[in-house]
Order: sequence, then C-alpha cells, then structure tokens
Amino acid sequence: MKLKVKYSVILFILLMQISCNNWLESLPPNGLIREEFWQSKEDVEAVLMAAYELFASMDRTLFLQGELRGDLLFGGSNQPSRERSIAENNIYPDNNYCDWTPYYKIINHCNEVIKNAPLVQGIDNTFTDFRKQSLMAEAYFIRSLAYFYLVRIYNEVPLVLEPSETDNSDFYIPKSTESEVLNKVVIDLKQYREFAPSGGFSTIIENKGRASKPAFDALLADIALWRFEYDEVLEHVEKIENSGEIELMKGGEWFQIFNPGNSIEGIFEFQFDGNLNQRNGTFGLTQRFSNLYFPSQKATEMFGKENANELVRGENASIAKIGEDDFIIWKYVGQFPDGQSFRSGNDQYSCNWIVYRYADVLLMKAEALSQTGRYAEALAILNKTRERANLQPKNIVFNAAAFEDAIMEERALEFAYEGKRWFDLLRLGRRNNFSRKNKLIEVIISNVPSNQKRILAVKLTNPLGWYLPIYESEIERNKNLNQNQYYEF
Amino acid sequence: MNLKKIYLICFLLLGIIVTSIAQQNTIIRGRVVDKADKTTIIGANIVEYDSEDRVVNGTITDVNGDFVLQMINQSNTVRVRVIGYNTEVVKVDPLKVSIIEIESSDVALGEVTVIAESRSVNSLTNIDDRDKASSSVKVDLMDMQEVGVISAADALQGKISGLDIISASGDPGSGSQIVIRGLSSMGNNQPLIVIDGIPQFRISQSFDLSSADSEDISNLINIALQDIKSIEVLKDAASTAIYGSQGADGVLLIETKKGRMGKVQFDYQYKASLNIQPPPIPMLNGDEYITLQLKEWHNSDAIYKIPPEIAYDKDYADFFNYSANTNWINEITKNGNIQDHYFSVSGGGEKTRFFTSFSYINEEGTTINTESKRFSTNINLDYFLSRNLLFQIKFNYIKNEINGNISIRGRNIREMAYIKAPNMSIWEYDLVGLPTGEYFTPITSYQGNGTTYFNPVAVANLGRDGRLENHFRNTFMLQYRLNDWLIFRETASFQSQGTKNKSFLPYNAIGADWLNYQINLSKATSRVNQGIHTETQVAFTSPFKNEDHQLSGAITWVTDRSGYQWMNIQSAKNPSVDIQVPSISGQVAYIATNSGEGKMVSGLGNVNYKYLDRYLVQTILRADAHSSFGENNRWGLFKGISLGWRFSSEDFLSSLDFLGESMLRVSWGVAGRQPNDVYARFATYESTGTGSYTFNPAISPISIQLDRLMWETITSYNIGAELNLFKDRLYLEGDIYYKITSDILFKDYSLPVSSGFNVLKYFNGGQMTNTGWELMADARLIRTNDLLVSVNFNASQNINSFKKLPENFNAERSTSIGNGQYPQRVVEGEPIGSFFGFRYLGVWASDKDVVAKDVDGNVLKDSYGNKLPLQYADSYIFKGGDPIYDDINHDGKIDLNDVVYLGDSNPKFIGGFGTTVKFKNFDFSANFHYRLKFDIINGVAIQTEGMNNRNNQSKAVLRRWRVEGQNEPGMLPRAYMNHPANNLGSDRYVEKGDYLRLNNVKVSYELNKNLCNKIGVRKANLTLSARKLFTLTNYSGQDPEVSQDASNPFWIGVDNARTPPPKVYTLSLAVGF
Repeated sequence: MKLKVKYSVILFILLMQISCNNWLESLPPNGLIREEFWQSKEDVEAVLMAAYELFASMDRTLFLQGELRGDLLFGGSNQPSRERSIAENNIYPDNNYCDWTPYYKIINHCNEVIKNAPLVQGIDNTFTDFRKQSLMAEAYFIRSLAYFYLVRIYNEVPLVLEPSETDNSDFYIPKSTESEVLNKVVIDLKQYREFAPSGGFSTIIENKGRASKPAFDALLADIALWRFEYDEVLEHVEKIENSGEIELMKGGEWFQIFNPGNSIEGIFEFQFDGNLNQRNGTFGLTQRFSNLYFPSQKATEMFGKENANELVRGENASIAKIGEDDFIIWKYVGQFPDGQSFRSGNDQYSCNWIVYRYADVLLMKAEALSQTGRYAEALAILNKTRERANLQPKNIVFNAAAFEDAIMEERALEFAYEGKRWFDLLRLGRRNNFSRKNKLIEVIISNVPSNQKRILAVKLTNPLGWYLPIYESEIERNKNLNQNQYYEF
Repeated sequence: MNLKKIYLICFLLLGIIVTSIAQQNTIIRGRVVDKADKTTIIGANIVEYDSEDRVVNGTITDVNGDFVLQMINQSNTVRVRVIGYNTEVVKVDPLKVSIIEIESSDVALGEVTVIAESRSVNSLTNIDDRDKASSSVKVDLMDMQEVGVISAADALQGKISGLDIISASGDPGSGSQIVIRGLSSMGNNQPLIVIDGIPQFRISQSFDLSSADSEDISNLINIALQDIKSIEVLKDAASTAIYGSQGADGVLLIETKKGRMGKVQFDYQYKASLNIQPPPIPMLNGDEYITLQLKEWHNSDAIYKIPPEIAYDKDYADFFNYSANTNWINEITKNGNIQDHYFSVSGGGEKTRFFTSFSYINEEGTTINTESKRFSTNINLDYFLSRNLLFQIKFNYIKNEINGNISIRGRNIREMAYIKAPNMSIWEYDLVGLPTGEYFTPITSYQGNGTTYFNPVAVANLGRDGRLENHFRNTFMLQYRLNDWLIFRETASFQSQGTKNKSFLPYNAIGADWLNYQINLSKATSRVNQGIHTETQVAFTSPFKNEDHQLSGAITWVTDRSGYQWMNIQSAKNPSVDIQVPSISGQVAYIATNSGEGKMVSGLGNVNYKYLDRYLVQTILRADAHSSFGENNRWGLFKGISLGWRFSSEDFLSSLDFLGESMLRVSWGVAGRQPNDVYARFATYESTGTGSYTFNPAISPISIQLDRLMWETITSYNIGAELNLFKDRLYLEGDIYYKITSDILFKDYSLPVSSGFNVLKYFNGGQMTNTGWELMADARLIRTNDLLVSVNFNASQNINSFKKLPENFNAERSTSIGNGQYPQRVVEGEPIGSFFGFRYLGVWASDKDVVAKDVDGNVLKDSYGNKLPLQYADSYIFKGGDPIYDDINHDGKIDLNDVVYLGDSNPKFIGGFGTTVKFKNFDFSANFHYRLKFDIINGVAIQTEGMNNRNNQSKAVLRRWRVEGQNEPGMLPRAYMNHPANNLGSDRYVEKGDYLRLNNVKVSYELNKNLCNKIGVRKANLTLSARKLFTLTNYSGQDPEVSQDASNPFWIGVDNARTPPPKVYTLSLAVGF
C-alpha cells in the first residue's frame, strides 16, 4: 500500500512536467500579434496601406520641409518657435523639427512588406506572383520616396533595408552617403517599375493615391534631376508622356487640380478624406484664423493682381486676399479660384497632398533639356505651361543660367506651397559644383534677422549647413551616428 | 493537459490508500503537578510532536492529573502544555511513571515565545529556523499590537537591518515602499510577500496607468496587524532562490496566528488614535503675497499695469474675493483619527484547532475628506483527519474602502494649497462684500485658468476619488505522513482581488466653462486579479537513525497562474452633478479594457545536511518556466548554497562559559525577476489611426518581438555571524553582502528611431551592484522576576552603483534645463536615483559683480577689454539679485555643460534602535528609526521659493534680495516674474534628508493575574502609545520621509507635498476571556 502512494505521487509529478510546455504558451487574449499575422495577401496590403497613410499624415511636415527655408512663406504670430528657428536659420540639433521618426516608421513598414510578402505567398495560395510583385513594387516606391526626402533634408542618413522584427535586429546603423542611398533607391525603382500597376486599380483614388508606373517614372526623373543626370530625366519623363494616361489640365480648370483633386494631371497624390476622418494637415496650417503661415512678400508680389499678370495661378488661386495687405495661401483652403469660397465641413480636410503632377515632370524635362543645351525644346515646354496659365510666351537668352532662372521662377509660380521650392533652390545651389550657391544663400538669409545676415552668409558657404542636423536624441541613442559637421561645435 | 483532473485522481488515490499503518507502540504514563504547590493539574495537554514539530498525537490528564499516552514513535518528543504554565518536555521512559512538575509562566511569557519560534520550520525548505545558514531575520509582531500602527509595514519600520520602509503617504489607506538591501533593479522594487506559504500577487501586470497611482501599487501587506504572528525577512539570494523568479527583491514571510489546543479564548482589542499633522511650511499671507507679486512685476517689466486682482482696487468687481488672507494649508488640514476594533476567537482540541478574527478599522486622514474603512476576517482551521493526515484551511477576506481627494492634472490638493494665491477667498463674495454661499472658483484668476489653479477646498469637499478593494484568499492544504521520514503535502490556493476606482469632479468645484473637458468629469475603473497557486511537495527528514548525521529536504512542484482584467471608462460634461458615474453613452470620452494571464511552473529541490549539529550545508535548486518568455529562454535556473558552522558547539570552545549558541555562515545564491508585462515579447500589430487608406484596411506594426528577453538575475554573496553571549543576555548578528544584478530588465528601452520604433518594451543589459553590511544587537541588560530591561540596535549601510550600462545605452534620460527642471542621467559608477543639476553658489549682490571667470579665476574679457558678464545659455545676462550658478567649464555661459552630480536618494545608513522595560505589570518601550546620508529634492521649495511666477511662496522668500548691493548670508534671489533662470534645477533644492525619529513609544499596563481571575477575564491590558512623536532633521520640508517611488528610476526621492505621515496618539484596550 505504502509503495503505491509513493509511486502515485511520483507519477503525478512526472505527468505534470510533461504537460507544462504547452500550458505555458499563452497568447494575448486581445490584439493582433505576429504569430497570427502575415497569413494572407490582405495582411501584406494592410501594412502597405499603413505606410501610405503614415506618409500622407506627414503632409504638414512635407509642406514645411519644402517651404520653410524657402522664400514664399511667412510665419504668423502662432508659428511654433521650433519652426521659426528653422525659418530663421537658427538651427540646433535639439530642435525636434529635426526628428526623422515618421520617415523611418514608413521605411520600416515598407521593409516589413518587402520581407514578408514572399513568405506570405508560401502560406496564402490565392496570392499570385503578379500581385506579390505589384505590392512589393509599391513598397519599394514608398521606401524610395522616403529616402529621397531624407537625403535632400539630411544629406547622409542610415540606410535601413531590413525590418525591425525582433530584438536581434541591428538597430545601430551608421550613416550612408547620399550617393549610396540614391544608388540603392534607383536600382530598386528601376527593377520594380515593370511590376507597378498602371491604371490597374478599380478606383481613381487608388490610381492617383498609390504608386503607378507614372509615379515611378516621376520619382526616377526627380532623382535623376537631383543628381544632374539629364539624359535619365528625359528618358523617364518620356515614359510618362507616352503613357497616355496623364495630361495637363486646361487653363480654366487649373484649380481643380486641388479641388476636387485627383485630376488628369495628377501622377501621385496622398489621399485625404475628411469624411473618413483622414484629415490633412495643410488646412490647419494655412487657414485664415490659425495665424501660422502666410504668403511672403515675394509671393504676394509674384501673384498679386497689383504686381503681376498671373490670372490662372495668381491672386484667388495660389493665394487670396482677405483684407488690406492681408493674404492667405488659397490652394488648400479654397473651393474655387475666387478667393472667397472657403472649403467647409469635412471638405476642409480633404485636400490631397500632391507629390507629383504632370506640370512638374514637364518642367523637370525643360530643366534637363536646357542644361544639355537643347534650349529650343526647353523653351517650348516652358511656354506650354505658361500658355496653360494664360500667359504670354517668354523669350529667353539661350544660355543655361538664364534658363535655370526662368524655370526656377516658373516652378515657383506653378508649385507654390506644394513643398517643392526649397528642394528646387537646393538643386540650384548644388548644380555645377556649387557655382551658383550664392543665389541659394541669398534666399536663406532673406529670412534671417538683419544682425546675423553677414555672419550667416559666410557660414552657409559650407553646403552642409543647407541640411538639417540629426536630432540630438537620435545621436544619443545611436552611437554609430555622426552629426552633420556643420552643427558640431 | 487538464491539471484539475490529475489532482482529483491523486486525491482519490490518496483517500483510498489512507489506512493506519502498523507502528511500534510505546506507552508512557505520568502525572502532572504544579511545581510551586505540588497540586495535580487537571486537563493538561500531553502532546506528542514528531521530529519536525508537528502534532501527531495527544491526550489530557484526568481528574487526578494522570495520563497515559500511546506514542506513535518513541523518538518523538512529548510536551505538557497548560495555559498559564510553561511547557515542559516529558522524558520518554515507558518503564517509569513520570511526575512532571510544571512552572507557572507569569513572568517569562516572552521567553516561551522565543523557544516556540526557534522550533518552527520553513515549509518550503524544511529547515529548522535554528539551523538556517542564510541571511534572514524573523520578527515577532506580538509586541506591536497595541501601538497605533495599522499596517505591518509600519510596524517593521526601523526594526530590521537592511530593510528600508518608507510610507507612501500619510493619507489613509496608502501603503509603504519596502526595499530590502537597496534598489536592485529598474522600476518597482517591492519584495515578494508570502502569507502562510502562499506568495501574494505582485503588482498587477499591465494595468491601466491612467487611473493607478503609486499608493495603489504599494499597498502590499493588506492584512490585520493583530492576525500576524511573525514576519520573516529573507535577505540574501541563497534564501530567496527558493522563490526563484519572484524572489529578486527579497521576500517577506508572514505567518498568521493559528489555533492552539486548549480552552477557547476570546480576545477583544479596541484602539482609538488621534492623528496630528506635523506643522506645515509657513506660507505668505495675502498681503505679503501681493507685495511679492508687485515686486516680481516691477523687477521684470519696470513699467507695468497692475492686474486688478493685486491692485487693492476697491472698485474692482471681485475686490472682496481677492482681498482675503486665506491659509489654504490650514483649510485642508485637520486632525485625523483611527478607530480600530479587533476580535478573535481561537482554540481547539485534539482533532481540530481554529483561529478566527474580525477586524474593523476606520481611519480619518489629516487632509479633509480622506478616510479609509477596512474590514477583514481571517480563519485558520487545522483538522487532523487521522494521526497521519492533516487538513488545513485558511480563509482571508478584506474589504477596504478608501476615499481620497482627486488630483487635477497631476496636482493634488495639498500641492495646490501650497501655491494657491492666499489673497483669494474660499467663498465667493458679491460686489458689496456679502457671501454668496458658493465656492470662489473663477474661470480665470490672477494665477491662471480655473482648472490648473483650482480651489483646493472646493475640490476636496465636492470632488471625490474613491477606491473599493475586495481581496480574498483561500488556501487548502492536505498533509499526509507516508512514514516516519516522508511527508506528502498538497496545497492549493486561490486569490482574488477586485479593485474599483471611482472619481468625480463636479463643475462647481473648478473654474471652467461648460465646454471644458474637466467639467463633471467622472471616471470608473475596475480591475480584477485572480490567481491559482498549487504546490505539491514531498518532504523528508533523516531516514537513517544516526545522531551525527541529519538530512532533510524537499522536492516541490509549483504551478502558478494569475490573470488580470481591467476596464476604464471616463465621461465628461455629464449633465448633472448628481450623475457621478460615466453612464451616459453620449458623454463617454474614453473607454479601455484589457486582460491577460501569466503562467508559471517550477520544480525545486533542496537538501539540508547537518553533521554533529555543527556543520550545516543547505542547497537549493529551482527551475522556473514562465509564459512571458519565448520557448528559447523560458527556463530559468535559480540556486543557492549556504554553509553554516555552529562553532559554539565545538569542544575546544566549550570552556568559554559566556558563549551561547553562535554560528558563522556563508551563502551564495541566484534569484531572478521576470518582466511585469506577460505579453511584452510579442510583436503586435494595430489598426492605424483611421484604419484605412484609399478604402483599403491599414495595419501597423507597433512593437518589436523580443527574442532575447530573459530573466534578470540577482546573485548575492553573504557572510554573516550570529553570537549569543552571556547566557542570552547579548545577541549580535552581523552580515556583509555583495549583490549583483545582471541582465537588468530595462522597460521601454530607447532605440534609435531609424529602426522605425521608439522603444523596445524590455531590454536585458547592464549591471548594478549593492554592497553593504548589517548589524543587529539585542541586549537584555536586566533580567529579574520583576524587571526586564532590554535594548536593541540595528544599523545597515548599502552602497548602490551602476557597474555597467548596456552598450548603446542612452544615458541621457532628459536633457531639459530650466526653472524647476533637473536633467536626468545615468552615469556608470553612480547610484540609481542620482540627482544632476547646477551648483548654486548664492546671490549676486549687485550688477557689477556679475562676471564670468576662467579656470584660474581671472575675469573673462571680450576683445575690447570689457568684462564679460555671466549669462544663461544665449538668452539672458545675469544681474544683481540673480542666483550665482557655478560655471563649471568656465565658458561664461550657464548651460547643460555645467550640470554636475548633486547627490542621490539612497540612504547610506538606515536602521533603528529601541528599548523595552518591563516592570511588574508595566511595560514600556520606545523605538527609534533613522535614515542617514541621503538627499531629497525639495519639490515644494522649488514651487514656493522660486519667485518667478504667480504661485504663492513660503515665508522663506521674505529673506530675498531687494536692493542693489545687498549681501547677506542665506538670502534668496530677487523676485522676478518669468525669469528665465532664477530657479534652475540646482543644489539649492537638494537637501540632506537625514533624520532620526522616535517612531513608537508605548506604556502599557497589564492587569494582575489575580485581579483578572476575580473579575473573570483571562487578561486585560491598557496601553498608551505615540507614533512619530518627534523627528530630528535638518530638512526644511514638512517631513523627510519622502516617498521612494521608483517607477521612474531616474527621478526618485522628490518631495512633492504628499501628505506626510502624521503623529499618532493611541489609546488601546485589550481584554481576553
């Protein structure tokens, strides 16, 4: 009897040991975890969509990064001090405007898609090769776009190509040079362009809001222009011209590019819909009562009825006069090009952020042509956009600098407040081994308090000062990062 | 695998097999007589104990005082127990009728208790307390019951070396923070509480932070003090390894009272206490405040328009509301009181023993509208089914109802009372100065908007923040003696803790318009934690009958599962102040809910070997597997070995008469800790903000999978000695320890954001050490029949230091500098909880004195030869009357580069001492508690001595700099509205917190035995006691016992005007029948 007791006890203990490992595998009762995710093509698409959404939610940042240090914007009384410091070129690494978190969040989403899409294909039998390639192509596109912004803002950045899935990942990635980043980006884009859907989506929103073949071409052209590879620019722009999907809007319909948006001219636009609570940031930034940002003096001179003969793109379209000497930016708050009908209700927040449109790539082409000496063709394109804006054709002396200035001015008129200006100026400053950098410095110091203009003009001859510093806390967190030398003191 | 089923089968098997087992019988006979008058004693208990001191058999004497006992095992001990007499051991001699003389135990009751203790055995390790070679201390709480403390933590304060206990706050129902041998990890450092062998909940995992505060978490030992028999503190890892992954922060073993064989005893105790707040920091009155404000404006702007609230303008509509002299602190402070009723019944016979108690405590706090009502009941039942089978039930239920004051935007009413403008009145007056009967709560006042600067009296009286806790524990234990050296034990314990928080802030308590989200804001949180704990144990003692070798040990299998659920609802702008729950769906502003469960299985074994009663070896090995880890790192191995040498038993020392039982011991052990969040290791995905893009669903990854997550391990080394000298007159115990925490669990570890994430939920890395020594001394100076005088003393020192930080660790936790802000850093070699900031050197006497100096002390000059003044960052040039900060790097600028280490919040020495004097029926005792060499950031002073905003300031600012050239010792900087740098985080507010406090003092009178008999009571006792009667300290704040909230390990030890622990005067009356 006694023995039986003992044995039963020992048996009992042994039995429990066998059962324990299964028992310990306890999954969270609520919430989605990796173990349950990456099972179907819908999961892949959902993360891709999150990347788009995140990028779209950066529209306020994209606006500022493209305009703040340029010459078309003027900060109002409510301008946050961190943004005022940037505009006045009083830039320190502790300014959290320099935080690049959203870009890398987007990049991580794309990396997840790129890594997991092939794995999901092994699980989901309905996930076709074609679909996989096209989703991956979109992810490559977004990642490339994010890196293109990053190098234009920070010059050298960590090139992260693997998703941060587990704590075994390498989080401490050093900086890569601009050309390393862009080389990788261009290879990706070229490789996946053929898989990009082209007009293949069922809705116009998707066709404009997701990466299509023309979007790939536009980005490739933009990168090529940034790297002064003019033949490449022409090659990519021609592909868009030949696609037959994209045309210039007519002059009278120019404002429809912004309201309702998704026009025939649009190539890639981040989609907003106030009704779905997907609200843009540009309305809040430019609406009349926010006192954040107004057109600069230069802008009112460029567009104002009193000074300029811009009718299509001028007062009541790009900007609007709401009082004596009181202008606001109209592209994101107006319903019609009349300077009076404000967007209302949920419509207020529904204006898309246009990343690329046809006029943009056409002017890229003109710039490339003029830089390679094909002035007549360049002039034809320039005048085509002027004609659309109901302006007289221009006659320009056939030299590269004159064309550069003319195109720069045309771009300012056409794309004011679309987040292009600063990057255009940067490109100008960088061209031909910084031969015209004074023109850029002139623009930067125009925003600076007068007592600092002289010293800054000297300091900014160092092109590194044109880029933002890496945010202080990021430097502290990643010991493999070096600060932009301009900001090391 | 269905565990329950297995249990059931096992129980059934046991039930069938339980039969009496043939034994060698020994019969002893005898008679029990009183030693003094030789009368026979009827009804004395003759009890047989086995080698582990378990009752196995017993009988009682008949009318002649005779007994016959058939012993189960001849080697067992037999004792005679009668109430009122000392216990006597019976010599087992079956051939003789023994006459046992027993002695009345009037005086030496205390000593009896000691003997009883020394024979008790830890249930998990199966070691006699006497033989324990690891570091632990056991305290008898019997003495503390009359004193006006209501929690066990309060009772232990200052009593045990190495144990640091700090009250979280003086408000009713708030708990204490307990740290054993220094902070050893990041975040919460509370020890594991084990009540009668059952580990209690740790802080509930992943609860909703929007509602919980540190007091909530710290309320650990929630059990009636009178129910506790003793508390044992396990300090080194050799002893805590037995609790494996839960033992990292030390363990408190609490033993509750059990029934004893004998007559049924009734005990009733009533305690009434009066609680009095220590005097507050004196604040400016209304007139002084206005003068100060005017000066602040004058200094900053020179030309200014005086705001009407401080302009003494009779025509101003609110003139009467702004011309008061309100002492806000006094208005929210009152005397508190405690009513404590305790009733217990205990007793038992041969088969059953029971102990049951009821306790009701009603405490009113020293801040208006704070109270706590606690009801608790405790039942311990032992049932001897047969000689070999014991069944035990423990049941414990506690209901705790706590009402407190609501904090608004993180500011409690006491903090508010300190800074609220004293020229504002509590009640609103109309234009002509007649009271309107409403609280004065303007939407905007001179100080700011009405929700940030609320009326603390109105919020205290109209708002409420209540918490209701229901806690029950139920434990079943079955013990079966397989043979004379093997015992099987099965324990199953259930615990459930439900907490409900409700708060409400009515519109009339704050100044806000109807659109403000704080208007009629109500919050409700409910939280339930449940746990099931089982233990299956086979314990053994020496199977071989050899006096020289003794072997014992146990093999135990533990399973533990604990789950939590919580839900939080908030609604704002409820339409009526009578709708105080978030029940209107339209107004619900926030809902959150979560649940989860953690599971653990462990196997542990320990072997204890003793040779010649002198050489002791104890080993522990425990393996834990917890569900919060992935399969790879799931098993953690914890171990300990302790060696003891009872040198006093050596022959060559036997000639030393003064030497009592003494021991040297050495131990080494490894314990661990698991993360609080059981699901942290999973990578999670969530819907994005809007959930879609272009009408397609969008899902984001939001956390990183933790494949490397593992146990934090604590390795400790301990060398100790226990000395008993001069026939138990002097007892000394000393320990030296070294404790290394490695693979520290860092919660929310910062990552470079280029990873796409901001933090890792947990990261293991780095090393922290705690080194220290402890000393306890207990001397019985006089020991006669009538007089007993004893003194005790303990001291300990702990030095904490970060030995190694993880690679890539971001040591800068916060780099912000500015008024009232301290940068937060971690530095290798410095302790956790260090303060960093500027060095404050006084006040510039005049403008021309303000110069910057280089390293050699020469004045810095610009290229034109002008003296360069010292400036703050790039923004401000210091002037006369501004504070002098040390320009550490001599660059002429006060900025982040001038930040230095200023001190830390870890006390270097802690301890206490006390004395007990017993004279006839009087009993006097006093206990002191001290903490030395630690720093406090006086957060109240930052708020009330800065003079750069509209907050009320303390009377200290009357010593401020006023005129050019003024230079007096101890003067404060000038008043200056919105000064950018006159109140920077500096050592100006880092104060020495050292204190010595008379923690408890008590006088009690025990009614004479004879008198008791006459009036028919067993005992009666009257006690007067006082708690925290006086404190010696140089700290300028209200109380140096500042809550050690370690939830932010980089910001510990800041005095934020929590209610300080009050002085408590208690009258206690205890009667037993």
